Amino acid sequence: MSAATLIERALLIAFAAFMLSVPWSVPALINSFWVSVIAEILIWSLFAASVNLLFGYVGLLSFGQALYFGFGMYGVAIGINDLGLSFWPAFGLGIVASMAMALVTGVFAVRLTWHYFAIITVVFSLIFYFLALTNKWLTGGDDGISFTLPPTFSFGGTKYGLTDPTFQYFFILGVVALCFWLMHRLIGSPLGKAFLAIRDNDTRASLIGLNVYVLRLIAFVLAGFLAGVAGALFAFFGRYASASYMFYHVSGEAVVWAIVGGAGTLFGPLVGTSIFIVVREVVSSHWEHHSLIVGIVAILVVIFAPRGIVGLWRQWMAQLAERGDAAAIKSKLRTEP
Amino acid sequence: MEKLLLLAMNGLIWGLIIALIALGLAIIFGLLDIINLAHGDFFMVGTVLAWATLQSTGNFWLAFIVAPLIGFILGALIQRMVIQPIHNAAALSIVATFGLSLILQESVRITFGPTPRRILPPIQGTVPLFGIDYEIYRLFAAAVAIVAIGGFFVFLHRTQLGTWMRAVRHDRDTAIAMGIPAKRVYVLTFGIGFALACVGGVVAAPITTVDFRGGVDILPFCFMAVIIGGLGNLPGTAAAAILLAFLEGVIQSAASPTVARISSLVLMSAVLLLRPQGLFKGFAR
Amino acid sequence: MSEPVLRTENLTKRFGGLTAVDNLSLGIPGGRVHAIIGPNGAGKTTFFNLISGLLKSDGGRVFFHGRDITGLKPHQISRLGIKRTLQIKSVFPQLSVAENLWITSQAGQRFLNPFRSASADRAATAKVDRTLEQIGLTGLAKRAAGTLSYGDVALLEIGMALISEPQLLLLDEPTCGMSPAETERAVTKIRELARTIDIIIIEHDMEVVFGIASDITVMAQGAILASGTPKEIADDERVREAYLGRPEDEDYVEEAVHA
Repeated sequence: MSAATLIERALLIAFAAFMLSVPWSVPALINSFWVSVIAEILIWSLFAASVNLLFGYVGLLSFGQALYFGFGMYGVAIGINDLGLSFWPAFGLGIVASMAMALVTGVFAVRLTWHYFAIITVVFSLIFYFLALTNKWLTGGDDGISFTLPPTFSFGGTKYGLTDPTFQYFFILGVVALCFWLMHRLIGSPLGKAFLAIRDNDTRASLIGLNVYVLRLIAFVLAGFLAGVAGALFAFFGRYASASYMFYHVSGEAVVWAIVGGAGTLFGPLVGTSIFIVVREVVSSHWEHHSLIVGIVAILVVIFAPRGIVGLWRQWMAQLAERGDAAAIKSKLRTEP
Repeated sequence: MEKLLLLAMNGLIWGLIIALIALGLAIIFGLLDIINLAHGDFFMVGTVLAWATLQSTGNFWLAFIVAPLIGFILGALIQRMVIQPIHNAAALSIVATFGLSLILQESVRITFGPTPRRILPPIQGTVPLFGIDYEIYRLFAAAVAIVAIGGFFVFLHRTQLGTWMRAVRHDRDTAIAMGIPAKRVYVLTFGIGFALACVGGVVAAPITTVDFRGGVDILPFCFMAVIIGGLGNLPGTAAAAILLAFLEGVIQSAASPTVARISSLVLMSAVLLLRPQGLFKGFAR
Repeated sequence: MSEPVLRTENLTKRFGGLTAVDNLSLGIPGGRVHAIIGPNGAGKTTFFNLISGLLKSDGGRVFFHGRDITGLKPHQISRLGIKRTLQIKSVFPQLSVAENLWITSQAGQRFLNPFRSASADRAATAKVDRTLEQIGLTGLAKRAAGTLSYGDVALLEIGMALISEPQLLLLDEPTCGMSPAETERAVTKIRELARTIDIIIIEHDMEVVFGIASDITVMAQGAILASGTPKEIADDERVREAYLGRPEDEDYVEEAVHA
């Protein structure tokens, strides 16, 4: 096992250990408010992951993922508020709604070449943003709707719900970790390799027999799933849903997070989202113009480090590995008579 | 009926102003292949410059010189310093323009504050038109927009730079082979695009609010005009802008502005999916 | 007379005012290597694009083993067994050499499994290893295809053609840009392939053409100028005039014909 892989494994274990200890370590080290910030980071990183799946692995830049986030969010909120659903059915409704929306819009969007694809994803999300704004009776418009949280699990007399911050944190951590693990499996699978081929050279892909349209549509629906889960978690987390989260600025920020973190890497979205939300929390208590920082960083990264943080890390690791191989070969030559 | 007439006239005039701004977007999209998410904010900067000029010099008309000039310089600088250095210019330039949009909005918010300002029209009063009393300034604004659009097309067809721009748009490699400095054309095109949006901003400032979020609404509208008019079809873009604004005005008399906006967006989606070359194919060069 | 492997009937393609392929009717029999030669702009690559589905024809039909494939999408035509390489070498640059081969071999499957790990498929991995040996790129298996030298990319393309188990292989200027040594390697590989696969090859290198082709069709301005065995083509006056104008080519022709 090479040194690079060892380092990455060690980092992963340390990271996992930290994440599991958060409800206790963070209040001790900083304060308990940051536990919910970390939970929020997890939710948004899942959203950034949906952008990353499409852009980093299939080569489609979507600026409209907020639409599916919104459907996940409103699926839960409307499900609980208006349909009287309990926790899991509401969760399910949010996910199904976002995937269905992704399927319907994807059928049209995925036919377009990437310029027009990017534009139409924005257009679709704007249409539904405005629809959400005008239908205040259903969505509460920009002000949104709040609801009381039904319990997550009920065993006999005891109820476990997200009202308990520790339970809430672990629930979010569990769901997000599960989604990231699913993505990891997907990328290593034959379907994932097909995505990469399409990203690299879609003409060649069609010539070797891949149905580019269908594969892109599948990716789009899967990304809609991720965004929908994020939206549903967000609704549960804040007990609240608002149309303002469907605006294209929200999609755009997720694109920046995904690219700064590293497009085409598994942990890129997590790294990128963490950085921006931490900066936002730290900066906004003293200065309200943190969006300026987002804008500047976006431009700097795009010019100087388009592979993002995790992308650069990978490059660095690969170079170390190559140098290790070269050194090994050199020493071998030296020892041979 | 009066309401319909008023909104229709307003829509028509607003459409002329948007046509001017959208032409700026069209040349950026058409020549540089960039989806400029900051274009609405270029317009917003124009309104802010108009307000600032008025505040500091007391003269609104000066803004017609100051704003496009500053806009041109800013645009040229942005293209040279931000857009050009990007390697995978295609996809990543959208992200850069998104960052730019954030920077412009926040910078304006920092310098001028979050409260919207209003500028009084420099020409006050109304004139009876088609049975309603119509603001003179709006008619003036329409005239300015028409002159500016006309001037732009004259520039495009009668000057060397304009011809260069059309050549690069048509066939970049041949243009370079013939000795046209493509990179310089790109820089100047972005500058002109910004400047056009600024002119639109100055003209529109007295009839809209001056506010750091002023560009957010303009952006989708400009893209609608470019797409429906047809990429690369400049007269089509202008025509589409006028038509769309006019239609939205008409719909607004019967329903809410949001409904009007939704219908324009739906029309744009339809065009994207069915006729991506736009509706006004006949004028394409 | 058996059905030709590939047959076109009045195949036409226009780009605006230019007719790139003009009423082309052509039958290519199986079991041979068929070369298509002609000056630049003759319509050869357009012809390949029409057959492989990358372009829609403006008229005429294409038959593969008697089956009408006109208007089918590229991936459908690929799944029927027609594979091709592109004029400008084109692989999947960010995937490794081994992954390029792997995805090519799996691409025809109806269902791409999202649950299993790609490397778990022993049979597929073994196939990739075999192909790597055949094209001599085993040492470069883990390298990203985008970092390969031009000659190695060409070999990778041939490897991808091999592993896809084609029934008909369309090679578009496979030796373009290769050094003489690389060309020799490529020609040997193509000869091996020709033993089991029907091949149509577009080439400019006359030595290659006369070395491996059993039939030659000469195209000019979108139409067939002449068609026949290498000797017939070499002796054809019109062909010599239109195309084989260069003295060096004449030497190749003489040598190859009398070899």
